[in-house]
Amino acid sequence: MKRKIDITRFKLEKDLSIPVERFFRDRAFGFQKNEVAFYEHRMDLYGYSQDHDLTFAVELKLRNWSRAIKQALLYQLCSDLTYVAVPLSTIKLVDLNLFQSYGLGLIAVESTGCNEVIPAVRSEVMRRHYREVYVSILLEENGNGF
Amino acid sequence: MASETPEIVIRIGSHAEKEYILKLAPFVDGVIVGANLFEAAPGATASLLLTIGGKSTNVYIDPMTYAFGQYTDPDTGKLRADLDWIKSEQIRKDEKGRKKTIRDFKRSYRTLAESLGNPVSEALRSGRAVSPNDLSEREVQRRFCQTVVEYQQGRIAREFENDEELSHFVENMPRPAAVFAPYFYIEPHNTQDWLSVNLSLMSEAAKLETSAPVHGVLCADSTHLDESELRKYLSEAIPTTGVAGVWLWFSGFYEELASLQSLEGYAELVHALSKNIEVHAMHGGFLSLALSKFGVRGVSHGVGYGEQKDVVPVIGQSTPTVRYYLPALARRLGVPEIERAFDALGIRTAQDFHNRVCDCAVCKGVVVDSLDEFAAFGDMHYSRPEAKRKGQTPAAAKRCRFHFLLSRLIERDWLRRSSIGEIIKRLEEASDIWGGQPSLSSRSGHVHRWAKVLSANPR
Repeated sequence: MKRKIDITRFKLEKDLSIPVERFFRDRAFGFQKNEVAFYEHRMDLYGYSQDHDLTFAVELKLRNWSRAIKQALLYQLCSDLTYVAVPLSTIKLVDLNLFQSYGLGLIAVESTGCNEVIPAVRSEVMRRHYREVYVSILLEENGNGF
Repeated sequence: MASETPEIVIRIGSHAEKEYILKLAPFVDGVIVGANLFEAAPGATASLLLTIGGKSTNVYIDPMTYAFGQYTDPDTGKLRADLDWIKSEQIRKDEKGRKKTIRDFKRSYRTLAESLGNPVSEALRSGRAVSPNDLSEREVQRRFCQTVVEYQQGRIAREFENDEELSHFVENMPRPAAVFAPYFYIEPHNTQDWLSVNLSLMSEAAKLETSAPVHGVLCADSTHLDESELRKYLSEAIPTTGVAGVWLWFSGFYEELASLQSLEGYAELVHALSKNIEVHAMHGGFLSLALSKFGVRGVSHGVGYGEQKDVVPVIGQSTPTVRYYLPALARRLGVPEIERAFDALGIRTAQDFHNRVCDCAVCKGVVVDSLDEFAAFGDMHYSRPEAKRKGQTPAAAKRCRFHFLLSRLIERDWLRRSSIGEIIKRLEEASDIWGGQPSLSSRSGHVHRWAKVLSANPR
């Protein structure tokens, strides 16, 4: 019954955003921005933690998790940690081994909160020149000294 | 005239491409310009051709007669005869001097129609596309062929004859290396009638006394490539028209996306036709170039795009990003998709990049000290203060275009000296190495298909 509720609650990808934002805020990622352009792509959520000196990127998807992986792989170029966030009901469809082999994190989203199914591994292909631009934008927009 | 194959003929898409054309013209085998572009800016086009034509660079004028024929609406799939796609919104003044917007034929096509005469001039007057019935009489076909061929032979010179100061250049005017018979799109709703008309036009044009060889254009639909009986008929019927060459253009045929069946059909048609006449690809890419081993003589394409072209373009799309042409996969791809593969492939320095990705002059000038500089091919900005999304910077687009053109020349030269076995090996290696990368795997299946097509090795 709970799964059914999740499907109806998350009609749009952006509906997943608020629980995911809260999830990262609770982990000291205070600087966040939605819809961040990376070339022709748009990262649904990008964030930075001054405490950990880490950035994260999240691709939100209701169902098409394999497409989310393709996008998330690119975000590993500009982010330390990259996640795909899907409704809990979609998790059972996901190939968890693929996430693990690429070092991508996986988050199950429920109306009540998020669960980190697979933690992201720090990206080995991250390019500092991309990351620095995003960090400076986040600091500038949110007021440095958060 | 270059004798080695494949030849590369660059299609001039607009006068904004002048910089590319002027720099590359000495190195390509020819340039082709659409008659509509010529009529949009006759003086500028004639001057450009005077500058680059002659010597080793051939010049061709595409008469664009297909633009006045019936077409399939790309949005609805329905046959249209209203010629709407060659119209534009124009501001006119009414009797009282008030401005109003009307939809009318573009000036360039109107001028062209008047130059080419009946049946296209009549089509514009009546607002109804040319149909096969309009060209059913042999005398109409003959006169139309005469006008279209004379247009191509004399249009450049005529532009200078009319100018007192420039008339002495007329003797030096480049003449087309070949002239095209008028042609129309063989649209799938009416294949037989249009095919018959096109073959008749080729025959009538081939009978004319011309200063250059007469070539035909087979402008058909990509679905026709899957019809083996039709291919067989074409390979027999076209050479009997008497044309010295044929330029193949299959609307909707994308070399990277086409099925193995369509690609094999294309290769088979090329091979069969080339036994008797010259075969060119009107809008071709790497596969068409590689099919020089099957008989393709030359390939034409645009500066930034145009390795494939639909007969009727989709209107209203935003300006597409000019992507980086990855030589290994012979395909344009996004910067991050390519960059994501570097670490796994051991590409870590600028030198690695030049050794493994591209060492053309543009890439050597952009990726100098660090691999991070590759990002310059995808630089983005807000083109207008009110823009909501970033777009590619003009400088990045220019880098990508020049890199593509230089890569194409490198490919041509490599193909000229390579055996078919070496080409297949290169494609299969690219499929294994680059296609094995997760960010590129879904965009690399074509190289395996191309290798398979070339493996048929008919020679």
